[in-house]
Amino acid sequence: MNTARLVIVDGVRTPFCKAGTDLAALGADELGRIAVSALLTRTGLDPALIDEVIFGCVAQPADASNVARVIALRAGIPQSVPAVTVHRNCASGFEALTQAYEKMLAGRGSIFVVGGTESMSNIPLLFPPSAAKKFGRLARAKGLLQRAQAFAAFRPADFKPRIGLLLGLTDPVCNLNMGETAEVLAREFDISRAVQDVFALQSHMRAAAAREKLAEEICPVFQAGKEVVTQDNGIREHQTFDALGGLKPQFDRKNGSVTAGNASQITDGAVALLVMSEARALELGLTPLGALTGYAYAGCDPVRMGLGPVFAIARAEAQTRLTLADADIIEVNEAFAAQVLAVLNCAASVEFARTQLHRDGPLGEISAAKLNVNGGSIALGHPVGATGARLVLTALKELKRRNARRALVSLCVGGGQGAALWLERM
Amino acid sequence: MNVLQTDPKTADQPVAPRSASPSPVPADRTVHFVAHDDGICLLVFDRPGSSANIFDLRTLDELAQELEFIERQTALKGVVFVSAKPSVFIAGADLNAMRKVTSDNDARILIERGQAVMNRIAGLSITTVAAVHGAAVGGGYELCLACDYRLASPDHSTKIGLPETKIGLLPGWGGSTRLPRLIGLPKALDIILGGKTVPAKLALKLGMVDEIAPAEYLVTAATRKIQQGKPLRPGHWLVNNPLAAMVIARHARKQVMQKTRGHYPAMTKALEVVARGISRSVVDSLSLERDGIIQLMQTDVCRNLINIFFLQERARKRTVPGAGSTTGPKPVTHTAVIGAGVMGAGIAQWISARQLPVVLRDINTAQVAKGMATIAKLYRDGVKHHTFTAHEARAGMDRVYPAPAEVPLHHADIVIEAAVENLELKKKIFQRLDELVSPGTVLATNTSALPISEMAAGTRHPERVVGLHFFNPVHRMQLVEVITARQTSPEVLQRALRFTQSIGKLPVVVKDSPGFLVNRILMPYLIEAGNLFEAGAKIEDLDAVMLDFGMPMGPLRLLDEVGLDVSLHVAATLAAHFGDRMKVPDCLRKMTGAGLLGRKGGGGFYLHEKSKEPRPNPQVAAYVQSGKASSISREELQERMVFLMINEAARCLEEQIVAEPADVDFAMIMGTGFAPFRGGPLRHADTVGAARLAGAMSLLVASGTAHFEPCKLLAGMAAAGGKFYPAT
Repeated sequence: MNTARLVIVDGVRTPFCKAGTDLAALGADELGRIAVSALLTRTGLDPALIDEVIFGCVAQPADASNVARVIALRAGIPQSVPAVTVHRNCASGFEALTQAYEKMLAGRGSIFVVGGTESMSNIPLLFPPSAAKKFGRLARAKGLLQRAQAFAAFRPADFKPRIGLLLGLTDPVCNLNMGETAEVLAREFDISRAVQDVFALQSHMRAAAAREKLAEEICPVFQAGKEVVTQDNGIREHQTFDALGGLKPQFDRKNGSVTAGNASQITDGAVALLVMSEARALELGLTPLGALTGYAYAGCDPVRMGLGPVFAIARAEAQTRLTLADADIIEVNEAFAAQVLAVLNCAASVEFARTQLHRDGPLGEISAAKLNVNGGSIALGHPVGATGARLVLTALKELKRRNARRALVSLCVGGGQGAALWLERM
Repeated sequence: MNVLQTDPKTADQPVAPRSASPSPVPADRTVHFVAHDDGICLLVFDRPGSSANIFDLRTLDELAQELEFIERQTALKGVVFVSAKPSVFIAGADLNAMRKVTSDNDARILIERGQAVMNRIAGLSITTVAAVHGAAVGGGYELCLACDYRLASPDHSTKIGLPETKIGLLPGWGGSTRLPRLIGLPKALDIILGGKTVPAKLALKLGMVDEIAPAEYLVTAATRKIQQGKPLRPGHWLVNNPLAAMVIARHARKQVMQKTRGHYPAMTKALEVVARGISRSVVDSLSLERDGIIQLMQTDVCRNLINIFFLQERARKRTVPGAGSTTGPKPVTHTAVIGAGVMGAGIAQWISARQLPVVLRDINTAQVAKGMATIAKLYRDGVKHHTFTAHEARAGMDRVYPAPAEVPLHHADIVIEAAVENLELKKKIFQRLDELVSPGTVLATNTSALPISEMAAGTRHPERVVGLHFFNPVHRMQLVEVITARQTSPEVLQRALRFTQSIGKLPVVVKDSPGFLVNRILMPYLIEAGNLFEAGAKIEDLDAVMLDFGMPMGPLRLLDEVGLDVSLHVAATLAAHFGDRMKVPDCLRKMTGAGLLGRKGGGGFYLHEKSKEPRPNPQVAAYVQSGKASSISREELQERMVFLMINEAARCLEEQIVAEPADVDFAMIMGTGFAPFRGGPLRHADTVGAARLAGAMSLLVASGTAHFEPCKLLAGMAAAGGKFYPAT
């Protein structure tokens, strides 16, 4: 087997801003361009050396299809460099990175710009199919009479938009919204509202304390006629347990426990990473942040998609022989507090290991000291296509700060998947 | 007739594939007859050994021969005029030939020959179509006007118009007659008096062309037109009747006088010819054109304006002798600007608009943000003024790479420093840049007054340091002073020169010396305006006399625009080197001290209120020190200020700051708007005469103003009856 390693040379991201706020005017292509341009400027890499640009994006903008290509060209990467957009829901940012790895192993290039971008502010509202049909008829109508007839066919219900964002966050197979899958976990693993809120509060506190650290990975966003944006704006410095407690459950109004406060935020942002084969980095005299040493994607029950990381971590262990104990820091993406807590529960459970993972012992304990040390998506927000790449960037920078060796980063994926990557400092 | 326009932006456009590629033809002719299908023929313009087609007498004769041949072909249904050049249809009359016209008779021959050929085209019984791809200007467009139809390609290189008045002439081969008949008097006057050339889309909107078709389909589209036969065109009786023409002309005359103060006779003449011609027969109107242009052709104004055109061409092509022109280094593809202030941002915006990526570095995010905002505004204004489409503006913004922290610059081909004017800071920046860039990188400074040789001295490779002095506002000022420090190598100078040309700026090569060229010559003039103000001359008078002279702006108003603090800084730097000659007037220092900074502060010599014409600031009466100058005549005020400019210009020549008088004149016209029709300060000196200049200046010295001492060169010329330019 080819044992070449893919190294992450450097990375940068835009601030993560709540949808409808500071970055709302920028499309996913613009956010991605800003991140990639900043990456190229920071690293000084000659863009002609890039073999391919791979970007994750979940809600692909209607006006910039194959958004990776649009980003690449707008960032000044030569036309001859191809670009592809990838989509694995919340793991799209991982997918971009692991595809680069696979392409490198397959001998299809050695230098890649990868990342993810998402403008959740700009996910469109959709007309229902009935209206679309009528618009089509109207467009084809000839003469005043036909046109009048086509007009007359419209009914008020035709103008009730379908909210793209909601559709995207709903699994069509199990017919549950992502929040509803989190409610399933809260119920089945008996995760109380209070425990979820404590976890959410901790995410904010950690992120607030880490502002200076996070600034290292952020590039400013300049917009004409607006203040320059330099910081994540989802982090609430003064978040309190009581305030969280006052929020209404979002997905099960009566009996539920998942609120807007203990779920990830709807956010805009983009991340770009420069990755290459270890040999190329050596050749170019670059000092990488770290290497991707192994990874796994795993499928699971769509209804319990939040448990995906457990399955992926188990599979990655089978491949890499690395256990939870080998990780100096661990990221489990905070889609929902209930979901992360369920993951911790399952990872430590003998029963779960035996029945679900078909192995003798549990994966192990994930201590709070190692987990999401600089906060997570509950505080920073979760621009779905970009988050995976952010976890990689944040974890690698933290390894360096701690002078530690290994990080395990993982995500749950809507539709019933999990993803786990092992990163190692050089 | 006219203007050989070469636009740097279009000069290197790729060759468009042509469907009408002419068959093999004799190599020494410009006009070629090519038979096409269906009884249609092409007349292909392909001037041998040139990338452009122009009209000289020989081409006119060839065209006449071909037309004679066509007239005899009874089977022909139509003729299409095309060009075989990639980016020029016909760029007008040969300006070199026009420069050599020395008698009314020569002029008459040139005009009548041209008119006769155009008339011949207009008189053809078959249908005629001009299929324009590339520049069709002056005589080139007058040929189009003589055709039944005009088609144009939507290419960037396609520019259509009548720029004659810009070089002191008027359209004399039928343009002044046929354009108003085609599109109506008001629109025609706008084009002719403005000397405008417009892109295809606008030409279509104005009615100057009938249809737009891709270059590859032009002949096919022309064939369709020929099959339609000759067009019936509506007359513009509403605006082209004698009464309306009178009203329109009166209004236009007022505007022209306001704009030119009577210095540009071509404008008034063209207006007269067009407005009178519209009510006459075509034949009579053409005679008016002819008589008008003959009067204009031999004036100094026309000669000076044509000369500027050639000086621009020279600047576009200028190279450094002995610096390896063919095997030089690869063109600049990566750039960086250090400093995101007004100048740095302006330069970065210009570079990005010329298709090059540029890193914009400043010390922190706030500074970079200011620069990015400046750039965004420049693009936004550009979109408003149709300089860019919104899409082009976005692409331009995309090419600016903000850098609020130190970034690698090893693949930058050129780095332009535009930090604040502080020598110690600049030295530090250059030392650091020296470590960050590759050996082949050119390091340039945009300083306006500081010694570049000293900045170079602190680096390991001083030979790669050069000055690139852009003027403010960068997007409007075409001139760039390319300054050679003591250590600058010819190769680096060459590269800097090429870069300047490649971004569409016009370079003048200047030696490193305080104030370089333009600011140095301008400063004594501004200082004198300050002195005269202190001595009791009125603000309005000082500015008015210089507007009358032909400057685009009076000196005190200019001080306000530049900013009194900035002016003071430059003046003080120069005073430190040149002593009393550039002694900074007290008022400048006091006003700056009192916060009267000029336009940016809302007040200087003038009050600058929003959406109001600036008016003299009553507050500044306090800085008048005496009444000595209050009785000086307007003529003398003007002479005092102008003579000091001439004297300093002569000194620059004397000190070999530039190579020749033409460099001085070109730089002053392009860099300060020095009365173009006067041909620049040294050309103007020749017109006035060195003896008169030196005489008048010596009188002023005798009356106690020592700074009027004529320089050696001028004094010598006065004694020997010499001139800056050889007599032509």
